[in-house]
Amino acid sequence: MAVDIRIGSRDAKVKLLETDGTKATIEVDGNTYSVDLVMVEDGVYSILHEGKSYNIELIPGNGPKNYFVNTYSASHEIEIIDAQSRYQKSRNSSSIGDSDRLISAPMPGKVVRIPVKKGQNVSKGDTLIVISAMKMENDYQSPIDGVVKSILVNEGDSVTNNQPLIEIE
Amino acid sequence: MFLTYICCDKNLGLALLNNKNTNMIKKVLIANRGEIAVRIIRSCRELGIKTVAVYSDADRNAMHVRYASEAYHIGPSPSRESYLNADTIIDVALKSNADAIHPGYGFLSENAEFAQKCRDAGIIFIGPSSDAIIRMGDKITARQTMIEAGVPVVPGTQEKITDDESARKILDEIGLPIMIKASAGGGGKGMRLVRKEEELFRAIKLAQSEALTSFGNDTVYIEKYIESPHHIEFQILADTHGNTVHLFERECSVQRRHQKVIEETPSPFLTPELRAEMGNAAIAAAKAVHYFGAGTIEFLVDGNRNFYFLEMNTRLQVEHPITERTTGIDIVKEQLKIASGDTLSFKQSDIQQHGHAIECRISAEDPFNNFTPNPGIVRHISEPNGLGVRTDGYVYEGYEIPMHYDPMISKVITWGRNRKEAIDRMRRALYEYKITGVKTSTKFLERIMRNTDFAAGQYDTHFIDKHKEELLAPCDDDNSISADMAIIAAYFDYIKKFEKAAMGDFALSGNGDKYKWKDYGLMKALQRI
Repeated sequence: MAVDIRIGSRDAKVKLLETDGTKATIEVDGNTYSVDLVMVEDGVYSILHEGKSYNIELIPGNGPKNYFVNTYSASHEIEIIDAQSRYQKSRNSSSIGDSDRLISAPMPGKVVRIPVKKGQNVSKGDTLIVISAMKMENDYQSPIDGVVKSILVNEGDSVTNNQPLIEIE
Repeated sequence: MFLTYICCDKNLGLALLNNKNTNMIKKVLIANRGEIAVRIIRSCRELGIKTVAVYSDADRNAMHVRYASEAYHIGPSPSRESYLNADTIIDVALKSNADAIHPGYGFLSENAEFAQKCRDAGIIFIGPSSDAIIRMGDKITARQTMIEAGVPVVPGTQEKITDDESARKILDEIGLPIMIKASAGGGGKGMRLVRKEEELFRAIKLAQSEALTSFGNDTVYIEKYIESPHHIEFQILADTHGNTVHLFERECSVQRRHQKVIEETPSPFLTPELRAEMGNAAIAAAKAVHYFGAGTIEFLVDGNRNFYFLEMNTRLQVEHPITERTTGIDIVKEQLKIASGDTLSFKQSDIQQHGHAIECRISAEDPFNNFTPNPGIVRHISEPNGLGVRTDGYVYEGYEIPMHYDPMISKVITWGRNRKEAIDRMRRALYEYKITGVKTSTKFLERIMRNTDFAAGQYDTHFIDKHKEELLAPCDDDNSISADMAIIAAYFDYIKKFEKAAMGDFALSGNGDKYKWKDYGLMKALQRI
């Protein structure tokens, strides 16, 4: 089965050529790798490649096909783009305008302040919301020039990871 | 006859265990949470002291609750309604028959009123007298006390700044640059650096208003700003019989926004002569306020190795384990003994530094995204182990790190026969430290361990700023072989999920059924495409 896998801004073509027990031959963007791959713990893979040992930790991301991946030296965001997601993406792009932007909570926390109002004009870099977590306050700024379309939370609310907060258009 | 013998022997055994003190504390309430609560309970267990934990709504599942012999709920998650609620905590101590309260660090540990309330309720406060807390807690009073005791302080004012004219006069006396500081301050709040004369009045106003909002007191004073300082502190132990010793220094110059990140002992910057001199000054400082218990004298040391008293922390410090590792003395145990009225069982000449120890603070924050806090559920954790490694932590697999408290989740302490071995071991320990589910600062700490200036021992409090490009560059090379391995792992994980769904094998036991059902629905949807 061939799929595209997005890592950061790179889209890699991945094709499985052969499997034999824990051994597999797999092509990533034209490079063929022969690896020995074992899931050693739930979500943790040990890969041996040309004698080198890699420990790869997969943390579920924002969607079922999204992962946060840790290797020894780096952290990556990875998304599997299969037939289904390609289909969904093509549908979504026609229904939602590109100028709509949704600000989501990057972490669980508490809404301290919302210095903007619905319908207000904002410029790129203006603070839209202040969230406190672990004794620190973090400001979140507008990524674009636009208008506050909707505010989905109130000051004092507790928010969870990835919860939508404010919509800008 | 036989029975009597056994009985005597048992009493003798207990007496020996309790350092021959029949007044030894028998039950301690720990008015804290997180790693420090767990750490305190460890020493209590070794001494045969019973422990009482307290917890907020968010902490029912916390390790200190599980590890203590008793635990009581004290209120909602926000600290001021639970861990800072002095009356409720004292009430729990009385009801559970605890004879002492250990405040840990932070929360109520440097609250003189709380210390006094404990004593008024007939409970031992494991810490100094409220008088000592007050005299060291107010910066201006502390400076005056130190000057009287002959301990060097940073040149500056001894009184609060009342008008612009006197501020300018002081500026003329000590010269630029200067620091405006809040008398009630701490943690970098209410501080303003002045490099140009025209900034002076504005800086004073800003510092005053920040001090008022943060501490409810707008008293500020002026100090000479020390360029490229080292932050070096001395651990003090003093009993209630007038014996005071120091357990040498801790070098705490690796800081970010005035928060310590890495500490080590001995300091690579101190000479034996300076160490002896500063140790004596630290003892003099503690004696000046008739200090008892464990405490820390913080000094600034400038590039020419002049040292100045900065402040005293009248409590246990986060970084106390490196001192324990090099001196062999369990500082919490000593706190408990001192609070029980014991005399220190060692003299200054008995205390020596063996080898080198380093501590790294592990925080649930993303170092490559402006240190954004990262509370959440810990999916996997494997802590480092092996010769010369200690971890003081409190999180476990499946535990949800609450958003209400400090992001520090554990401390890794390594020891080596020399500094190089301790650094090599720390690098290895950080490599072994695996925690997933939340982002942590381990990779950032590893980079510091690899930094050549750090390895050479050449750093001051500007270290992180100076090396921020090297230390904080995002580590997201998406085109390496390692990245391809990450892709391969993700690919197989996705295939595995897909196959599992195809086989209808969704009812595996695991991390909660509701997720499994969600996955199942998703996989079914997937199969239809």
